[in-house]
Formats: sequence, C-alpha cells, structure tokens
Amino acid sequence: MPDLQLIAADILKLRRRRGMLSLTLLGTLGIVALVFAVTTIQHATNPGKYGPAGGLETYRDAIGVVGLLALVAGVIVGGTAGTQDIESGVFRDLAATGRSRTALFLSRVTGALAVVLPIVGVTAIATAAASIALKADLPAPDTGTLIAGTARVLAAGALSTAVAVGISAVVGSRGPVIGILLAFFLGISPLLQAITFLGGSRQLVPEVAIDRIGDLSTPPGMHVALGTAIAVVLGWIAVSLAAGAWRTKTREI
Amino acid sequence: MLSTTHSDTTSLAVQTEGLGKRFGTRAALDGVDLEVPRGVAFGFLGANGAGKTTLIRLLLGLAEPTAGRMHVLGRELPGGRAAALARVGAIIEEPRFHPHLTGRENLGVFAAARDARARALIDGSLERVGLAARADDRVKGYSLGMRQRLGVARCLLADPELLILDEPMNGLDPAGILAMRGLIRELVGEGRTVLLSSHLLDEVEKTCDLAAIVDLGRVVAQGTIGELVRGGPRAIDIVCHNPVDAARLLAAVPGVTRATDHDGSLRVTLSPEAPVDREIVTALLRRLLDHGVAVEKVAPVAASLEDRFLTMTTRLEDRL
Repeated sequence: MPDLQLIAADILKLRRRRGMLSLTLLGTLGIVALVFAVTTIQHATNPGKYGPAGGLETYRDAIGVVGLLALVAGVIVGGTAGTQDIESGVFRDLAATGRSRTALFLSRVTGALAVVLPIVGVTAIATAAASIALKADLPAPDTGTLIAGTARVLAAGALSTAVAVGISAVVGSRGPVIGILLAFFLGISPLLQAITFLGGSRQLVPEVAIDRIGDLSTPPGMHVALGTAIAVVLGWIAVSLAAGAWRTKTREI
Repeated sequence: MLSTTHSDTTSLAVQTEGLGKRFGTRAALDGVDLEVPRGVAFGFLGANGAGKTTLIRLLLGLAEPTAGRMHVLGRELPGGRAAALARVGAIIEEPRFHPHLTGRENLGVFAAARDARARALIDGSLERVGLAARADDRVKGYSLGMRQRLGVARCLLADPELLILDEPMNGLDPAGILAMRGLIRELVGEGRTVLLSSHLLDEVEKTCDLAAIVDLGRVVAQGTIGELVRGGPRAIDIVCHNPVDAARLLAAVPGVTRATDHDGSLRVTLSPEAPVDREIVTALLRRLLDHGVAVEKVAPVAASLEDRFLTMTTRLEDRL
C-alpha cells in the first residue's frame, strides 16, 4: 500500500516544477479553451459559414483530440515523476533510509496520477461543458457519450502516465523516455492501427483500446469488446509498472 | 541528545566478516573484517578507489555483497535492513537534493521516507547546521558547503544512532571544516556513532577516536589513532654536514634499517629491535662525531597517521 506521506512528497516535487506544469496545462486545458474561443468567434462573426462551436459532433471530435493531449500530458508528467529522483541523485539517499524501494516506486506512480488525472479530467469536463453551452440548435451530447468521452480521456491519461513512470524507472533518463513514448503514441501507434494485415492483434495497440473505451471508431473491419479494451489498458499499465518496480528494486546505486 | 531507544544492545555499530564485492573480475572489496564500536568517531581511511564508498554502499543496502556478512546496529543485512537503516543517517559522496525545491522542502521529502517523528525534527536540524535562515531558498542557489550542511541536517531527521559520512569535508572552507569537525564531536558526545570515510588523513587524525586503513579493497589495520600511529617504524631526523657520508656511516649502526634524505635532513629509520631513543641517539652521534661529521640538530620523529598510512598502503606508482 503506497504511503500517503511519500505520495504527498512526490506531488510536491511535481507541483514545484512550474515550467512543466504550465506546459501541461497549456497543452491540455489551454488548447481546448483556445479552440472553443476561436470557433465561437468564427460562429459569431459568420454563422452562415461556421456552425455552432458546440454540439454532439463537435464533442466527439474534440474528445478524440483531448484524448491525444491526455496521452502527451501523461508522458511528460510521468516521465518527469519517474526520473526526477534518479537524475538528481536523490534516489540513492532515499533508498539509504531503508524504505522499501517498491514503496518509493509506487508513490511516484500515484503522485504522477494525482497530478495528471485532475488536469485531464478538468479538460474533459471543460470540453463537455463547452460542447453543451455552445451547441445552439444542435443536439447536445447525451449522458452516455459524456461518460464514455470522459472515461476515454482518463484512461489515456492514466495509461500514458503509468507507462511513462514504469519505462522511466527502467531507462533512468527523462529525455529519451519522453521522446520514445511520444513517438510511439503519436507516430507508431496510429501506423500500427492502419496496417490491416495485423488483423485482430491490433487490439493490443493502446490507442485502439482507448478509442473503444471512448466509444469512438475502431480500425476498419475490427470489432473490439469493451472488456478486451479495458483489459488491454490494464495490461499495458501492469507490464510497465512491473518492469519499473523490478528495475527500481534491483538497481545498484 | 540521542533518544534512548537503541535498536539493539550490541556494543558494535557496524560489524563485517569477510565482506567482499566484485565487479566482474575486479575485487572492489576483498574479505573486509571491520568492527566499529558504538559511541565513537571512526575513520575509514583510504586512497581514492581503495573501496571506501563501496563499503558504505553495501552497508546502506545500495548494492549487494558478493561474499561475507554484515551487521548494522546489531541487525544482519540484508534481512534487517529496514529496521537498521531507520536509525542510520548517511551522506554518500556529494549530498544530492532536488535543486528546484527549497532546503526545507527537500528535508520534507526525506522526512516522508522516514517515520512519523522525522517531520518534527526538520526545524531543529536546520537550526543545528546553521541553515535556518536559508531554509526557504531553493537548493540550486546553495554552495557546496551549504549542501554538505543540509546533508547533515538530513541525517539528523533519523535521530541517528549511526551517521555514515562519506568525505564530509569536501568543498568546505577552513571555517566550514572546523565547524563540521566540531559538529561531529558534538554528535559523538551525544552517544551517536560517526563512521567517517575520508582520504584526508589530517582530518581523521583530528576528528576520530579510532580508524581503519583500507587499501585495494582490504582493511590493512584498525585500532585507536594512537595504536595505529605507534604501530609504525620509529625514526630520527638528523641535520648534519656531508649527509651522503653520514647516511653511509649511520646505515652500518646496529638497529638502523636505513638512512635516507628527507626534506633536507637525514631520516634514520630504526628496526623494532633498536634500543630506546636515548641510547640509539648516543650511538648515532658518536658514530658521526668519531668520523668528523658535524651535527647541527637531532630530533626523534613524532609519528603521524600520515606516515603510518603511507607505509601501509599501495602507492599510486606501485599500481601502474
């Protein structure tokens, strides 16, 4: 069971990185606010050409993008949380207190989730609120869609955060971890989804699972059960955390 | 003062038996037997690369030994690691902190890894090392000396029975060294044990009660500073005219093992069987005067830990 004091300490370490937090907020909530502001102004100035800024379809499109932003936020915060003790050299001194290394690792994971999930959660809620408030005469997103969309964003944030913390513990260096994971989530993963001969094995691609949780489209010719999607997300999280915990425990420092 | 709840009643703070650590074919530590009594300042002396930091890493559970056994505060490691290290404070090499956090916040991070009482000790620890006024500044603005002091404050959060300080004088100015020396003696005065690893012989001699000398991963001597110093060969320095002839003459005196040039004087090294100073000095002087060598000064050499260290450890040139 992670220790609350350790988790609070890990949250403090992340909160005090003001540059990183500002970047994460701008990259999530800031982008959503900007997009809705621009589309609202466009609709207000030229309603014939630009439709209302909200509504069900806008919400569906927006929540897909917010999911991607949540992935990026998770990678940045998780990569930082996973490496800041190692890169600063503090991990050795923390381990020398006799405290279980597994507890130290789990507190990093929990601390990173405690920072990422509120940010992406608020971003999802803001997206929903704007989509409803600015729908004009368009249909509003229903409760089921809102729940699925929010779940998608939270799943994306949790998955990328956990994977980033786990891989960071293995690699031990923030820059490469963030670079590799962003390349994977934003470049390699969409490519894998598009390679049709991979067939059903594409269900293992994390973004396919996340899209399914969000009730968005899955790759053509592929049906993914919700249970499978949840299991895939949990599987990625479990494997990454197991690798990170093992490396944290066995690392000679 | 040290709280009275000792973690164990054994009289030794640290005990190792045949402790070894290999990195591939290279032995960083080889059969180390070490006994550090409680309530003393114990120096762990060795040249760079002798194995000092490796031993500390093993004692703190940061690396696994490849041979031998070790006990810290009476508990065998690795089984009793958590309980033993709960009362150990350590600085390993240069103390490291999160540079974007303040000194106080950094101590808070470490207090979170300790037991519930540690948080209450933060202010007192900062006060004790003279950092209270700078506690709310970010550590990235601290000098190395301030970080060393913050490292000691971090150790104090454990209310430690044992402090392990690896090169604590590094980066300190003379005033800082004096203050650190005073702090170490103060901590020992409270009943705590300080294991001080250093290559600064003078510091160990001035600060510690006992010491061990490590060379190429082996402990080659341990005991009180006095015992270590006395264990070295006796020597007498003689300032005279014509030192080349004098060296040849003195080398032939019974009880003399060698006579060599030493900083402008002649250093005469004596064998263990040599008579007491009064008699051997008389014999040496008689020999010189009988052969017409004028003598300016004769002085028995006060042995130092440095002399002892140099006779016991491998010189750099011998390793190459």
